[in-house]
Amino acid sequence: MFEILKNMIKEEWRIHSSLFGSFMFALFPIMIAVIAFIGSLFLPIFQFILPVKQILLFVHYLFVLFGLSIGSFGLFGKEVMNRRFGQASMIAYSSRSLPVSERKIFFNFFIKDIIYYFILWILPFVVGLALASPFLSLSLIYSISLLLTLTLSFLIGLSIAFFLSTIYAHSSKLLIGILVLFAILGLFTASYLSIDLLMLLPSLSFFFMPSLSQLVLSLLLIITPSTLSLIFLKIDYPKKERKFKNSLVFLSKTLKFGKYSNFISKDFLDLNRSEGGLGKIIFSLLFPIAVVWLLLALFLKFVPIINVLVIFSMFLGVISSSIYNWLTQYDLFTSYSFLPVKVSDVMKSKTISYILINLIPLVILILVALGTNQSIYFLPALFSFLTLSSYTLSITILLTGLHPNILLYNAKIFLEYLFSIIPILLILIFLSLLNPFFLILSPILILLSFHFIKKSYIKWDKWEQPSF
Amino acid sequence: MIRMKNVVEIKNLTKKFGDLKAVNNISLSIKEGELFGLLGPNGSGKTTTVKLLTGQIKPTKGNAKVLGINVLKNPIKSRELVGIIPEQETPPSFLTAEEYLQFVAKIRNLNNLEDICNKWFEFLEFEDEKEVLCKDLSRGTRQKLMFAQAFLHQPKLAFIDEPLINLDPIIQRKVKDYLNDFVKNSGTIFFCTHVLEIAEEICTRVGILDKGKLICKVSIKDLKKKRQHLEDFFLKSVKKD
Repeated sequence: MFEILKNMIKEEWRIHSSLFGSFMFALFPIMIAVIAFIGSLFLPIFQFILPVKQILLFVHYLFVLFGLSIGSFGLFGKEVMNRRFGQASMIAYSSRSLPVSERKIFFNFFIKDIIYYFILWILPFVVGLALASPFLSLSLIYSISLLLTLTLSFLIGLSIAFFLSTIYAHSSKLLIGILVLFAILGLFTASYLSIDLLMLLPSLSFFFMPSLSQLVLSLLLIITPSTLSLIFLKIDYPKKERKFKNSLVFLSKTLKFGKYSNFISKDFLDLNRSEGGLGKIIFSLLFPIAVVWLLLALFLKFVPIINVLVIFSMFLGVISSSIYNWLTQYDLFTSYSFLPVKVSDVMKSKTISYILINLIPLVILILVALGTNQSIYFLPALFSFLTLSSYTLSITILLTGLHPNILLYNAKIFLEYLFSIIPILLILIFLSLLNPFFLILSPILILLSFHFIKKSYIKWDKWEQPSF
Repeated sequence: MIRMKNVVEIKNLTKKFGDLKAVNNISLSIKEGELFGLLGPNGSGKTTTVKLLTGQIKPTKGNAKVLGINVLKNPIKSRELVGIIPEQETPPSFLTAEEYLQFVAKIRNLNNLEDICNKWFEFLEFEDEKEVLCKDLSRGTRQKLMFAQAFLHQPKLAFIDEPLINLDPIIQRKVKDYLNDFVKNSGTIFFCTHVLEIAEEICTRVGILDKGKLICKVSIKDLKKKRQHLEDFFLKSVKKD
């Protein structure tokens, strides 16, 4: 039992540390602690804008969302892992060759995820806050109870995502049905949504008012979905051959981007034919966008000088850069390295694909502007969205090339990424506070983005591609 | 006597990964029309040598010319001209076999994509699987696909790394015959393998690589004259007899 768990943890550590070295990977939780420490020191300033209660609500929901995103990797991550490491090499797939049940392996995998992300993210985050506590006159109890409630929040998200992935394994239609039902319910109840309602999250309630009932409720929200996942577990090693009529030539002719059409068409086929189809991008984009909109709409009520649409457009710009992560998920440069293709050719085609798919968040922005009667602020919102979307993309490409999903776990690169994006985001927010129309000047940054993108093509062409 | 020109020229080629010398000061020339086999135990540096010769990785020291092109200075140009079958067959997962061949054909700026590709499906007998996603293909079919992509543009030189291992005996025969015809028509093959029977059957000359060093070169004709088997020669060379 513990042997599997121990080896899964070792395996996870070695996968990551073999990619960019044990030292850089070990630095990752330290870096999270440092960021949390610095962020906590700014709490007194944040308190001028938002009450502490709402900051805590925001952080707890952030951890629920984090758990959901980690768990949802189980939905789509299988293909990515297979591509990258090959099924046979992972302990998670060893039930095919060893006398161990899939249920046992899945249970160990679940526990491994909890331990791993607790050590990598949750613990360092709270340690950072605890280190800042003496400067904020907070007691250590505060940090300890936060450690408990944030862990519970993360586990609630993780368990729900595992449960959804089990439903997906049985019937993707059932999952879509459930999600649509929730979306419709959400639409009808959105107007009733209030901070008080959000406070009902049991882990959060437990933080403010520790009681056995809230703790039990939190544990039930964790244990019930994960137990159901285990009972109804279904893991397929599909052997069926999926056939498709040739679409590459038609797509290449339709998309007229010269020599890149071939690659862009391939990107679209990859995304469309991999598990979840194009819907996974829309879902992974729409879900955080919806959450951000909801939280902004709720919190910024208290800060009338901030324009919600403009701030939303900025977050939309940053979040939309995750499209690039999806575009690079299914590709390994080793698939091209024996052909007359440069790394920059693949990067250029991904950039064009990114711009094309970025029409989705653009449409969202237009709809939100129209739906909220804030059309007057549409122009600054549009400019800040375009600026941040292109700037974040350029930083991602410059720092990670074709490997954002791997290299962003390198502590040094992640820090560089944060310190390149957050100051720009803060400057733009500050400008919008002075006057949202100042943001019309923000596209100056697009020129800088072009420069970074050009520089990254040269940088990554020189780099010897590893076979991640 | 017709003097054949060198199509591969390697001088003091070295590749270090940290402290490990994966390829250690190799010098070698291969003439047009040769089917040269690079043999060696697992981890001897065969695949690294192919990657160096096709500009997929950069040497620590030394240089190589392929079809007269300096690989270090112009890797893309050299890959335009040669065909390569990498050690691990890695066609992109979500393209079908047909789409993948056409994808490669477009990269190589070929016309009549459909005709060229169909010829290969027919020759390697996998027409029925051309609409199957690459990720769902069997290992053997993937290897057929990788073979087809390497010869799609009718190169003059091909680097092929263990191209026969997963093929059934019927297709193996076809592929061996194809390679023999290819070199008879002035093509050149740089063939990496550790299957000595195949090397003995189809190669004109072999080199043995051990721990990154090219320890010897011999023509198969000379071995046959001495009535020596390649296996004995190989084991003696790497001192495993």
